[in-house]
Amino acid sequence: MKGKQAPPSEEAGGLKLCELGQPCVVPAGTRIVSQGETPEFFYVIQSGRLQVFRETADHIRTPLTELGPGAYFGEMALVTGQPRSASVESLEESSLIKVSKEEFDRLLDHNPQLARHIIQQLSSWLMSGDRRLEQEVVHQVKLRQISWFDYLLMLGLSLFMALVFNIYNDNGIPLIYGWGEKNAVPEIGLGQALEMYQKNEAIFVDARKSAFFSQQHIKGAMDLPEILFDLMYPMFQYMVAQTEGAKDKPFIVYGGSFSRRFDVGLARLLRKKGTERVMVLRDYQSWPKIFPLEGKEPQETASAPLGLPGYLEWLPVGIFLLILIPPIRRSPYLSIACRLLLGVIFMAFALSKILRPAVFALNVVDFGMMPSLGVDLWALALPWAELVVGMFLILGIRTRAAATLIAAMNLIFIVGLVHAIYLHLPINCGCVGEVGEPVTWWKVLKNTGMVVMTIQIFLYDRFLVLDRGGFIWRDSSI
Amino acid sequence: MNKDFLKLAAVLGLILVGLALSGCGESRSRYAGAYRSVNPIAEKNYSDLDLQENGKGTWTLAGKTTEFNWVVKGRKIWIYLKTGAIIIFTPSEGGKELSADMTGEWHPGCPPTSCVVFKRVPEGG
Repeated sequence: MKGKQAPPSEEAGGLKLCELGQPCVVPAGTRIVSQGETPEFFYVIQSGRLQVFRETADHIRTPLTELGPGAYFGEMALVTGQPRSASVESLEESSLIKVSKEEFDRLLDHNPQLARHIIQQLSSWLMSGDRRLEQEVVHQVKLRQISWFDYLLMLGLSLFMALVFNIYNDNGIPLIYGWGEKNAVPEIGLGQALEMYQKNEAIFVDARKSAFFSQQHIKGAMDLPEILFDLMYPMFQYMVAQTEGAKDKPFIVYGGSFSRRFDVGLARLLRKKGTERVMVLRDYQSWPKIFPLEGKEPQETASAPLGLPGYLEWLPVGIFLLILIPPIRRSPYLSIACRLLLGVIFMAFALSKILRPAVFALNVVDFGMMPSLGVDLWALALPWAELVVGMFLILGIRTRAAATLIAAMNLIFIVGLVHAIYLHLPINCGCVGEVGEPVTWWKVLKNTGMVVMTIQIFLYDRFLVLDRGGFIWRDSSI
Repeated sequence: MNKDFLKLAAVLGLILVGLALSGCGESRSRYAGAYRSVNPIAEKNYSDLDLQENGKGTWTLAGKTTEFNWVVKGRKIWIYLKTGAIIIFTPSEGGKELSADMTGEWHPGCPPTSCVVFKRVPEGG
């Protein structure tokens, strides 16, 4: 039932609409036909205004169109013999011609032009309905997929919570490390530093963590980890006092991290202690190629037992094998298992890092891939992103977008792991717990398993999803 | 709108419960107290450690006091400095002696070359 103009000819074979029907006048608010009732009449509007609408059992009304003088309605149910597909109500007092089914059939029999016009109208309505159905299907499919809003929601929520939590957290950290530090530290080039080293005119100080120092350092350099400065400084002073001619020698501090966190930070701390003659080695990466070195062979880093998250991390490798079996690969039940597992793992990862962002920030520095400006912000936001995304996966909210975010986090982490393995960095991954796991190829395999799980979720997840249309308990096709 | 609000509330609620649970550690009372290093650091100064039951603590060396937080996890004492460094203490003799791993890394025991041993100072002593 839709807005239609009167047929081009009301007269054919000696039959006229006005002669066939009965005129009637309906006041405003009168329901002329009701959805679902058996059709008896066809109507032509002479004057007034009417609304066509559909209504659900719980009285949710969807207006379809408005009809005015010259339009007609009620023909579809008469032609198809089906109950009324919609209701019609007068919006104002209206004058109609009411044609009975028998008269309508007679009219069509004697008026092929009118019949053709009605068929055209019905066809056009069906095509329009098909287009709307298609649009709705596309809309539903898009809703089940992902949108920029999903990412904005998850990342925005993570960042917002990270920043608010950092304000109230006793262990909060500055958003940008070293921001606003005024006392610039002079730098010294490699060539000049080497010359001073050869002439024994400077004291070289290694600012990195002890594990890095133990593995490799400039021969004769002193170990003063920037992160333990307050506790180690008295010992450092004592060692310096034991060094011959130390009073006249400047300190040359070096590190090895892309973030420059340790060397520049330590130089500033030494200057705050009143040591004026402090310089930082300019080319922080090239000193191993130029200076004589000493240290131990790279060894596997010790790591604390991880407990439950450590065992859970092996499950992705098992699921990776399951995914190789085609019928299981496409199972939405496997998607649920993947979501729960990834959700629990990521929430466990996050909770082990959230309370003490400074610890995690040092782990980020260890990988040597993040500039100083980004380290603290990354260390603050990433655990919250892990927590929010893990939670969304478990609760079934925006699962496809959540899966892609977890995949992205895993891929970034895998790049970091491979980088650390190739450089033999003496670090733990910092991914779960405050100490973390050793950086090994096994760890890369576990994370690859997680990436495969996210792909499975993205492609086949459709049960137990709290989506925009409500909670989807079971499979449903559109 | 109401449904969206409920979803968001559920997410936030679970996060808060998780955070509350993750903050719980083992009891500190057994190890709370004052400790002093067995040997002088740099051949002249003893190091003093004060572990308060509320999880706060101080480490005093050569007149310089460093504040930290501490928790007990897996029969070890974890000390968190503001810089993000962690120093792990291994208790022995029922908590009367603590061995500090000064590498700032986790090791199954305290590495002899980087180990500072503290003894509990008797109350009033």
